[in-house]
Amino acid sequence: MAGCFVQKRIQKEILTLKNSPPPGMKLCDDSLSSPGQFMVEVKGAEGTLFAGEEFKLLFKFGQSYPFDSPQVTFVGNQIPVHPHVYSNGHICLSILTEDWSPALSAESVCLSIISMLSSCSEKKRPPDNAFYIRTCSKNPKNTKWWFHDDKV
Amino acid sequence: MEPSTDQPGTSHSTTNPISDGSGENNGQFECNICLDTAKDAVISYCGHLFCWPCLHQWLETKPNRQECPVCKAGIGKDKVVPLYGRGSTNNQDPREKLPPRPQAQRPEAENRNPGFPGLNFGDGSFQMSFGIGAFPFGFFGTLFNINDGRPRPPPFGGAQYQDEQMLSRVFLWVAVILMFWLFFL
Ligand SMILES: [Zn+2]
Ligand SMILES: [Zn+2]
Repeated sequence: MAGCFVQKRIQKEILTLKNSPPPGMKLCDDSLSSPGQFMVEVKGAEGTLFAGEEFKLLFKFGQSYPFDSPQVTFVGNQIPVHPHVYSNGHICLSILTEDWSPALSAESVCLSIISMLSSCSEKKRPPDNAFYIRTCSKNPKNTKWWFHDDKV
Repeated sequence: MEPSTDQPGTSHSTTNPISDGSGENNGQFECNICLDTAKDAVISYCGHLFCWPCLHQWLETKPNRQECPVCKAGIGKDKVVPLYGRGSTNNQDPREKLPPRPQAQRPEAENRNPGFPGLNFGDGSFQMSFGIGAFPFGFFGTLFNINDGRPRPPPFGGAQYQDEQMLSRVFLWVAVILMFWLFFL
């Protein structure tokens, strides 16, 4: 029963992303084959450091979604160079862990990530990138983040 | 032939974002958690609509942080109002027919590794030194993601054994100094 609840909500999110995607994001149709996950392509907003760049975000949903946050990482060759994005695609963003709320969705996560990219003033990796990618777990949700301050 | 009507399944069937048949209300009466039409609906003082089972599960998930999922206002069992639509057959307060409450759980703390090799002093008089002496081990444990079994204590008399004896003596002294500091400050 819980599984059906999760699937239903994910299906609704997929439908919304498919039929009325907000500007700057697009559901990757070819990513829908495996249940419980999908990919969204996000575009860097015009007039920002990431204008014209496109990135892929992989969303993986667990059995306790939406009470637990999805696992969200950048995938593919294009990983944005940003102080909160590690070179393995892990993202340090509080709504993905402790500030998650079940009223959030894949769409609102994408919006937050686009705005995180937009507010960037210098393209650089997090200071602990080299150490983190050597030692981290595959699932960013296992990382105990301490959140960098909001002014990027 | 009536080509203008009745063409189910063609591409221009609907522009409704949620086209599963129940979406004609444009999301106004959808639960903010399951995104479906709210069942056993309750509304928070801040005006946000939920199924009571959905909200209840969220409140159970975050018992220390009872916040509205939408606007983060304070929320709780006594801070929501049940909604009764016309003709709904059971006007029982949805909060009374709770989904079976999950049992309280006491998950094991992370990194709780019983016994640190080389820190067994044999007598009970230095209980405190365990807590203090264990700190650097725990720290390195988390730092390098070592969560599983620790190596067995090395055989008696080996070089490593000597090292750990030395280490344990160092921690013992740290503990003693700390205790003096605590008592005589
Ligand atoms: Zn609901
Ligand atoms: Zn609210």
